This record gives sequence, structure tokens and C-alpha cells, in this order.
Amino acid sequence: MVGEIGTLLIGLSLAVALYTAYAAWRGIHLSAAPVTAALGKTWLHSAQNATNALTALLGVALLMLLLAFLTDHFEISYVAQHSSTVIPVYLKISAVWAGQEGSLLLWCFLQALFAALATGRASERARPLVPWATVFLSLTTAFFVAVTFFLSQPFTLLPQVPLEGRGLNPLLRHPGMIFHPPALYVGYVGLAVPFAFAMAALITRQIKEWTAAIRTWTLIAWLGLGLGLLLGMRWAYDVLGWGGYWGWDPVENAGLLPWFTATALLHGAVMQEEKRGFHVWNMLMVVFSFALVLFGTFATRSGMIQSVHAYAVSNLGGYFLTAIAVTVVGSLALLYTRRAALKDASATVENLLSRDGMFFLTLALFCTLTLSVLVGSLLPTLTEVFAGQRFEAGPAWFDRVTGPQFAVLILVIGLCPLLGRGVAALKRLRQLRWVVIGGAVVVPVVAALAGFTDVFSLIGFAISGFAGAATLAEFVDGVITRRKRTNEAPLNALWHLLRLQRRKYGGYLVHLGVILMALGIIGTRMYPFEVQTTVNAGQATTVQGYTLIFEELKSDFVADYNTTWANVSVYRGATYLTTLQPRLNRYTGTEQTITVPALHPDLREDLYLILSGWTSDGATATFKVVINALVNFLWLGGLIFLAGGGLALWPRMENRTWNGVALIVGLVLLLGAGWAMWGMSHGSVNYGGGRPLVGQDAPDFRLSLLDGETVSLKSLRGQIAVVNFWATWCPSCVDEMPDLQEAWEAYRGRGVTFLGVAYQDSETTVRSALVQYDTTYPVGLDTGDRIAKQYGITGIPETFIVAPDGRVAYVHVGPITAAALSAQLDSLLK
Amino acid sequence: MQNKTTFIVAGLLIIAAVVYLIISSTGSTAQFFVTVAELNAMGDEAMQRNITVSGAVLGETIVYDAMAPRVTFTILNVPADPKEVERRGGLAQVLHDAVMDPTGPRLEVIYNSVKPDLLQNEAQAIVRGKMGADGRFYADELLLKCPSRYEEEVPAQAGD
Repeated sequence: MVGEIGTLLIGLSLAVALYTAYAAWRGIHLSAAPVTAALGKTWLHSAQNATNALTALLGVALLMLLLAFLTDHFEISYVAQHSSTVIPVYLKISAVWAGQEGSLLLWCFLQALFAALATGRASERARPLVPWATVFLSLTTAFFVAVTFFLSQPFTLLPQVPLEGRGLNPLLRHPGMIFHPPALYVGYVGLAVPFAFAMAALITRQIKEWTAAIRTWTLIAWLGLGLGLLLGMRWAYDVLGWGGYWGWDPVENAGLLPWFTATALLHGAVMQEEKRGFHVWNMLMVVFSFALVLFGTFATRSGMIQSVHAYAVSNLGGYFLTAIAVTVVGSLALLYTRRAALKDASATVENLLSRDGMFFLTLALFCTLTLSVLVGSLLPTLTEVFAGQRFEAGPAWFDRVTGPQFAVLILVIGLCPLLGRGVAALKRLRQLRWVVIGGAVVVPVVAALAGFTDVFSLIGFAISGFAGAATLAEFVDGVITRRKRTNEAPLNALWHLLRLQRRKYGGYLVHLGVILMALGIIGTRMYPFEVQTTVNAGQATTVQGYTLIFEELKSDFVADYNTTWANVSVYRGATYLTTLQPRLNRYTGTEQTITVPALHPDLREDLYLILSGWTSDGATATFKVVINALVNFLWLGGLIFLAGGGLALWPRMENRTWNGVALIVGLVLLLGAGWAMWGMSHGSVNYGGGRPLVGQDAPDFRLSLLDGETVSLKSLRGQIAVVNFWATWCPSCVDEMPDLQEAWEAYRGRGVTFLGVAYQDSETTVRSALVQYDTTYPVGLDTGDRIAKQYGITGIPETFIVAPDGRVAYVHVGPITAAALSAQLDSLLK
Repeated sequence: MQNKTTFIVAGLLIIAAVVYLIISSTGSTAQFFVTVAELNAMGDEAMQRNITVSGAVLGETIVYDAMAPRVTFTILNVPADPKEVERRGGLAQVLHDAVMDPTGPRLEVIYNSVKPDLLQNEAQAIVRGKMGADGRFYADELLLKCPSRYEEEVPAQAGD
């Protein structure tokens, strides 16, 4: 039943979408003549109602698909392929857009919703554009609904109802995947709104004001794309286990390209609103943004572009290519016919070294960046056509081509606030020269002291420092100026500044975020470090100043997968940092394996550990160790970027309570995201203090021996102490007892004491074991695991040799042999 | 008017710089992108340069030594031309047919790294690296996609 109704709803939506476009078009024509104006109004009104009805229809269809997932309607093929009864509810929700059919339906719904809101709640200035915008938006929705209905039906039924679904792709089982696709889609569908209004403005020749009229929508789309890209990067970092966050894959690029042009559009719109021209620029940016959205969906679904992301179904390619061609050719032709109206006589061309000049450079750079990434994504096709041989652009190509462009862009971010408007510019430059020079010197010096000494990276750090100082100076300047006038406390002044000039300071916050992200990108791209290492249990290995000790391998069965993890203690020098647990999950149904990396984040770098394999006895394992320099600046910059975007987007509200609530909600969201990145464990567990390493003082303890005496480690100063943690219930501990006894007999009386510390054991069993194995060295019970905790024991047996000066001379995890003990003791006695 | 010229010159300079970057990077870092059949036909020339080759993974040939770690597997020829792929019934079908046909051109790949999660029968492998003198392909980078089982977004740069 659900399936049939769903299909019917989508079919109806297609009809309604086409009707909406027709009604709006008819209304426009009837309204033009005075005689039929009243009738035209009725048609336009009907179009508006139809837009709302379309949103409702698609909303109900999406809701039904969601319900089908929540209630396991496996008769629907799409549900059976992407869900199962065992996955948790939040994954069932995200499974709705885990495949092509469901994501297209979500896309349709969001497109209809945006169309209804943008046309229904249009501002006074935008109202004359609404009828034509309705035509374009309805046609866009109709295109996507038609693709869904004819080519990619989410409600197709299976001839036989399976008892269980196939389950969700393990790679998509991440909370970020609930938000990543919808955020990207908000960006994609949002860009259709400025496109529709721009076309309406061209047709009706009301070219001056359209950017201001739909500013909010451009901003929503741009922020949605930004959020989607950031979530995708973080997801790749957490889940894909390859140590990176951005691979310049064509499908990643497909999200980045419209973000570039949308950023250019936002900047161009500011110029247009300030009556400084840029009309043609903005029109071009809006057309390219929309065409690139179509290109993005095409790239993802056509299979024509070599990508590891791509959806397998390739039957949509031709339709999308046609849509792209119609869009670009049609809108450019329209633009050409309106070229006279686009000329703005009032705009004067200023010097290149001015605010206008910087905006021009910004737009130019975003265009060349778009072009570069587009060329890179299409390079195999392009080189085949022009050179007869296919060449492919890898990450090295993209880094080399875009790196210098990004550097100039950051430089422009720094120059822009310095240049200001007109004559005041020079004065301002003189005021701030020491601040920006300071920034450009301090940041690279600090970076060089932290070990980042590559010349090109230092240039990058200097540019970032310069731009960061110039942007921060804007905030300080604003606060000082305001305080002169109002005498407010500094924080209070900052709050009012942010509240009253949201767009300006939101923009600067975004710039700050981008500058921080640049630091992270320079660090990760220019200082990559990756190594593979195979170690035995208990063995230590040193990587870039970290000491990693592979403790043991464990495994367990969870829901529908088998998980195996390694406990790896991490030390820097001799200080215990954490215990990392990289995992490998094997899904029983599909035999697919998923690597789950473990992270130790730090301001300078992340230590990123992947478990890649092990021997069947679990005694040896192979790890991939990745060190990502400065990567946390990237994530921190991302949060500040989102905060700035949110601030710029927030509507003007007079009510102070609501502003306060908005501030609190925003801060809570940011803190939540921050907690998810740095507060959550990410496979890192802290086992108290960790064990003391060689060269450190051995923690003192008092042990009550079975013969009634009490011995403290301190009292053994001047002697060598062998401290062995063991238990009668541990087979390998029992195995090593004869070896320990042998060494004890060889070294007693030569300044060597043995201490057996029984871990989680009872007096009676220990006594009988000592008798059974003829053990004569002193043994005591570790009541309450006190000593085991002090020594950071992660399993038994473990043996520590303490030198006469009270420092640890040797650590051994796992069973020890008499020969190994003798070798250590001999070298100490020498 | 002079100012307008400045803008045009600045714009042209930027474009020229970017075009130079694109062309020089294509010469230095872009990689030759071939099918298995084309690679086999290249002969000794294939050993001189960095190459990207794409093909279908033959599941039964995957051997993984987790301790090295090293993966070896064989890929089979699939056409690169999207129209050709389309004509033969889509990528999944083409990959399936390639694996079913033991007589087609094949290539043994050696990848000295962790076995990616998606390396399985009928996956499409895109490998970057160099041809060895022993006739086997030594990959630095391995990208995979699996159209058969999961058709949705499976961004698996798992083998970088």
C-alpha cells in the first residue's frame, strides 16, 4: 500500500509542478494587459497555491518513505536494499538518503520547499520578480521530479517480500552522514533560487535590485554547501581510515565548484548593493552556480567521470547534460539580449589598489579556481579530445595548481580591510602597518620554532599571519570606536557590534575561519607523514617522538559485525599520553571490512592510528601510523567559518530575548560540534597514568608478603628489584614461573630482589601455586589493584626491572624467559 | 579610462598565470591514464613514466599478506570510453563481463600497503604507479568502487 501511494504522490507532484509553471506563465501574460489583469492575478494566485501544494505532496511522499524505513517495509526495493531490522533508528533515518532514489526525493522536496518559501515570503523589493521566478523554480522542480518518477523510483516494489533487508552500507554508519547529504542538498537546491530570480530580473529588466532581494537565499545555499563540505571532510577523516580529509575526487570537487561561484556571487552582490557595478559578474556567477549544481549531480550519477564516489546507475547522464546545455545557452542568450540594461553608468572604475579592486581580484580568483578545478576534474576527457591521450590529475596536480591561487586569495583577505574606501585608506594603512607586519612575522617564526621550516610553507604562514592580523584589527578597531561613543565594557561593545553589524562582522569571522583553515591545509599538505610498522605484543616502537607499545589484540561480536581491536599505549618520551584502540570491523553478511582509526588530537598534530592486520595468534600486528600536522586548525577554522556564516544569516530581530536565545542555541551547536571532534574518545582510552617507562622513577609501593612481612620498593634502594605482575588464573604467567625461579636462584644474594605481585587473586590459590611450582621468591597480593594501577598494567604478565637508583631499567610486557632476564640483570650488574 | 585598462591587464595576467600553472602541472604531475589493454600494448615505454590504469578486480586472485603489508591481485581490461560502457549495459555489467571472461587482457598489481575495505571481486580498481621490469604493476595508490553491491555514495579513497 505504502509503495503505491508513494508512487502516486510523486506522479501527482510532477503534474502539479508543471501546472505551477503554466499558471505562473499564464498569469504573467494576462496581467500585462489592463483588461485581463484581474484574471491574471487569479492565475498568479493559483500558481502560489500550487507551489505550496507541491511542497506538501513531496513532503508527504518523503514522510512515507521515512515511515517505510522506520517500520521495515521491505516490500519496497529501496528500503530492502538500504535497511535492515537490526540497525538503530538514527541509521534508518539517514538510510532514507543513502541511495540515489531517496536522495533525489529529498532533493525534490527541498527544491519545492525553497521555491514555496522564496516566492511566498518574498520581500517588497523581490515581489515584482516572483511570477517569473515561480516559472523557473517550478520547471527546475519538475525536472527533478520527472527524473525521480521516470528513472529513479524510490517506491518500486519487489515481487517477493524479503524477510530481512540488506542493511546499511557500513561506511555510511556515521552520525555525520545524517546531516552531510541534506546540508549539501540545501546548498544545491538553494542556488536555484538566486538563479530563478536573476532570470526573472533579466526578463523584466529590473536588474539593479535582485541581489539584495534574495540575499538570504544565496547565503543559505552558500552556508549549506560549506557545512556539507566540512561534514564530508570530517566524515572522511573519521571513517574512511586513509588519514586524509580531501582527495580532490571529482565528486568532492562537484560540491566545491558551486561553493566557489556562490562565494564569488556573495562578494559581487555586496558591490552591486553598494551601487558599484558588477552586474554582469553577478549574472554570470548565478548562471554558473546553477549549471555547476547540475554538473555536480551529473558527475555523481552519470559514471562518465572517473570517480570512486560515483553512483553506479548511469542512465541519467544524458538528461543532465541536456539540462546543463539548455541552462547555460539559454541564460547566456538572455543575458546578451539584455546587455544594454546591464550597463551601469553610475559605477566608476577605481584604482586596482582599492576596495573595489580587491573585490574584483576576489571574483577573478574564484573564477580561475573554478576553472582550474573543473579542468582538473575533466582532464582525462579534455586531454583525450585535444591530445589524443588521456591524462589524469591527481592530488599533486590540484595542490600545485590551486595552492598559489589560494595563497593570493588569503593575501587579498588581508589587504581588503586595509584599503578601505578612498582617501581614508592611506591613513588606515599607516595606522595598522606594525600590526600586520607583526602578524606576518610572528606566525612564521612560531611555526619555524615548532619545526615547520619548509620555505614555501613559511611564506604561506606569513601570508596567513598578515591576513589574520589585519582581520583581527577590524574587530579591535570596531570595539575601540564604539567604546569612545558609548563607554561600554569591551565585551559588551563587541556583542553589540556583532549584533548590529551582522553581515560585516559575520563576513570577517568567516575570513578568520578561512585563514585558520589555511594553516591546517598548509600543515597537512606540506608535512605529510605516514609509516607502516609491524610489532610484537609488548614491543615498543618509536615514531616521530611518540613511543607506541602494542599491548594486546582483542575481539568481540557486535550486532552484525565482528570487531577486532588493538590496545596501543602511546607515550611521548617517557610520559604516558593515552591508549589508542584502532579497530577492524568485519560485517558478517557482506564480508565487507571497515577500518576504524583511532586518534590522539593535539594542537600541533593528530596522531592517527590504523590497525591493518595481525597474525592468527594475535602476537604480532601491523599498524599504519599517520601524523597530520596542524589539522586541528582546519577543524577549528571550520567551526569559526560556520559561526560567521550563521551570524551573517541571522535575521534582524528587535526582540532582545530572541537574540539571546539565538546566541545560546548557536553557541550550544558549536560547542556540540567541538565536543564531537575533541571531546569524544575517537578510539582513545585513558588507563590512568600508564606504565613508567625506562629511565623514569619507578612508583613506590608497599606490598604485604605472604610470609607476613611488608616490603616497600623504596627500602630496596641500592639493590636491583625485579617486579613481576602475575596471577594463578593466567596460563602464560604460570608458564613463566619456572623461568623466574631459575633466575631468582641464579641472582639472589648478588644484590637482586624479586617481588611477585599477584593481580586479582586469592591467598589460598596463590599459596598452593607457589607450592606446586616450587617458587621461593617473595610474593604478595595486590589488594584492590593498587600497584597494578600505579604501574599502568594493561594485562599480565608484565615484568619491571628497577635499577639501584630507583629508576626503571627494563620493561617487558608478556611472558619473559630466564635468558632475557639474565641478559638484563647481567648488564645492570656490570 | 586608464584605470579600466589596469583592471583588464590585471585580469589577463591572472588568467595567464593560471593557464601556465595548469599546463605546466599537466606536464609534470598529471598521469597517463590507460586501460589494461592499452598498457599491455605500450611495451617498454610503460616502465618510463607514472601511469594510472583502471580495470576490474578478479576476486580469486587477491592475496593479502597483512604483516608486510602487501596486497597482490589481478585486474582485467574494461573499456575507458563511457559510450562504450553504456552500450555494453552499464559499468556494473561491464565489470561483471570482464571477470567472467578469462581470456581478456590482464595485469597483476602489487600494492605494498594495507588492503582497502573495498577490494573485492568485480570492484573497479583505479591504480596509480609504475610498471615493473617483471611485468607486474607496482601501485603507489589504489582507488576502488563497487557498483555491484552498494550503488550509493561510497567515497572510498580508502587506499591512498
